[in-house]
This record gives sequence, structure tokens and C-alpha cells, in this order.
Amino acid sequence: MALDETLPRRGFLKTLSGLGALLAVEGLAGAARPVAALGAGLLRGSDPGDPPIPNEIVARIYQERFGDRQPRRGHVVLDMPELAEDGRYVPVAIESDLPMTAAEYVKSVYLIVDHNPDPLVTAFHLTPALGPLAIQTRIKMKRTSWIRAIVETSGGELWADYKKVETTLNGCG
Amino acid sequence: MPEVGRTKVVLPERIERGEVIPVRVVVQHPMDTGFFRDANAEIIPAWFINEVRIYYGDAEVARFEWTSGISRDPMVVFNLKADREGPLTFVWRDNKGGEYRGTAEIRFSA
Repeated sequence: MALDETLPRRGFLKTLSGLGALLAVEGLAGAARPVAALGAGLLRGSDPGDPPIPNEIVARIYQERFGDRQPRRGHVVLDMPELAEDGRYVPVAIESDLPMTAAEYVKSVYLIVDHNPDPLVTAFHLTPALGPLAIQTRIKMKRTSWIRAIVETSGGELWADYKKVETTLNGCG
Repeated sequence: MPEVGRTKVVLPERIERGEVIPVRVVVQHPMDTGFFRDANAEIIPAWFINEVRIYYGDAEVARFEWTSGISRDPMVVFNLKADREGPLTFVWRDNKGGEYRGTAEIRFSA
């Protein structure tokens, strides 16, 4: 993919984590709490090795946004640190090799943090005017959790990638 | 006190027509979850951007649904096909009815 030429991702993520560290020193509002173990799943993901649906809230998000469609792994890469020192500033990068043409494009990108109070942290709704999918942002995490990046194409296909991210400092309250 | 809603858009210095460019935007906003307390143990009420709309010229090219799970002073980087000159406008709306805007001009290098 020519994306790396467009977005100097690695350097940018470094900048981000540096910023997070700086802000962490500046003021610590939330007290650190013990890291809880990942809960047992209610449902299974569609591919072996996918994280199971962890709770009713995430199950409802799947039902509302995807109906009966199950995301499959592929065509999307979720890049996050394995260990996020500060749950208030966790860098996220989502990229995809799916086409972005008028006929066929990524319509939506859903980012779900299983163990946040409000797990659907963001939904990005896109158009072909944007060009190849490469989005970066920063999110909050309450505690260690699986993160789901699910993209929906204009044709209704769902593609996903998952990362488990460890965190100790509660960024949600 | 930072100015809530102040928007900074960073574009490449040189833009060629038809090029895919990275757009980097930062908006000042507390993005309070409503779960934290202040120094006097009072709950800090939830106050966060929940809708973002991005316009390129007159066309809406993206819409983001956000929650307080986006970090304070939100930052987003995304690609844009720079196929015409015109304003790139960000409209931020928050859960308390606030609306803020920021614009950058897409101009091609001579």
C-alpha cells in the first residue's frame, strides 16, 4: 500500500505517546485500579481466535449496527500499543486496503472497547472523497480490554481486526 | 483556560491536484465523561463532542459519531483526495448544545 508515504504513521504514533506521557505528568485525576481479567464470553466471534462478545452492551451494539451479519477478519488493520500506560490517551490507527471509489468504498468504521462504560467509542462515517482509509485518533480506556475495529463497506460487508490492550491508569472515571 | 472549540488544521505545505493528503486536526474540548470528580469531590458533568461533520467545499465528506471515550482535546488524522481547491470545514457539536467550527483552505502549489 502507498499509505505509508501519505501518513508517516510510526513517527506520528511516537509523537502521540510522547504527548500522552507529558500530559500524564501534568496532572493525574483518576486513581489506578486493579486490572480485571477479561470476562467470559456470551457469544462466539465468527472466526476461530476472535474475541467472544463480552457483555450485553456489546451484543446490543452488534445487533443494532450489524444485524445478523458477522464481521470476518481481514482487509483492516488496527494498530495500538499492547500496553497503554495512560488510559486517558491511547493512540489508535486504523487502516484498510479496501477500495475507496464511487462504486465501492468503506462506508463506516466502528471502534469498540469491550470494557469501557460506553463501548462504541466512535463511528466514523466516510465517503470516497477521503481516499484510502487511514485514520488515527486517541481514545480513553477504563481498563485492560479487547478493542474491535470493524469496517462496513458500501456493499454491506463487514471486516474486522482485534487487539487486546493492557492498561492500568483508568481513563474513563 | 483554553478556548473550547478552537480548531487547528494541519495540511501539507505543498499540495498537488489529485494528490491524497493527510489532514491532521485538533480541537480543544474537555471531553468530560461525567465519571470524574473535581478537587472538591464534586462530579464533573459530562461534556463532550458527540458529532463531527466535515465539509470539502459544499460537500459533506465525513461524519463522526463520538462519545466521551475520545481523549481530551480530540485529534484526528485522515486522508483526503485533494481534487479541487476550496475550504475544508469542521463542525463540532457537543452534548450541551455547543457548536464550533474550524476551516482550512485547500490550495494547490503553483
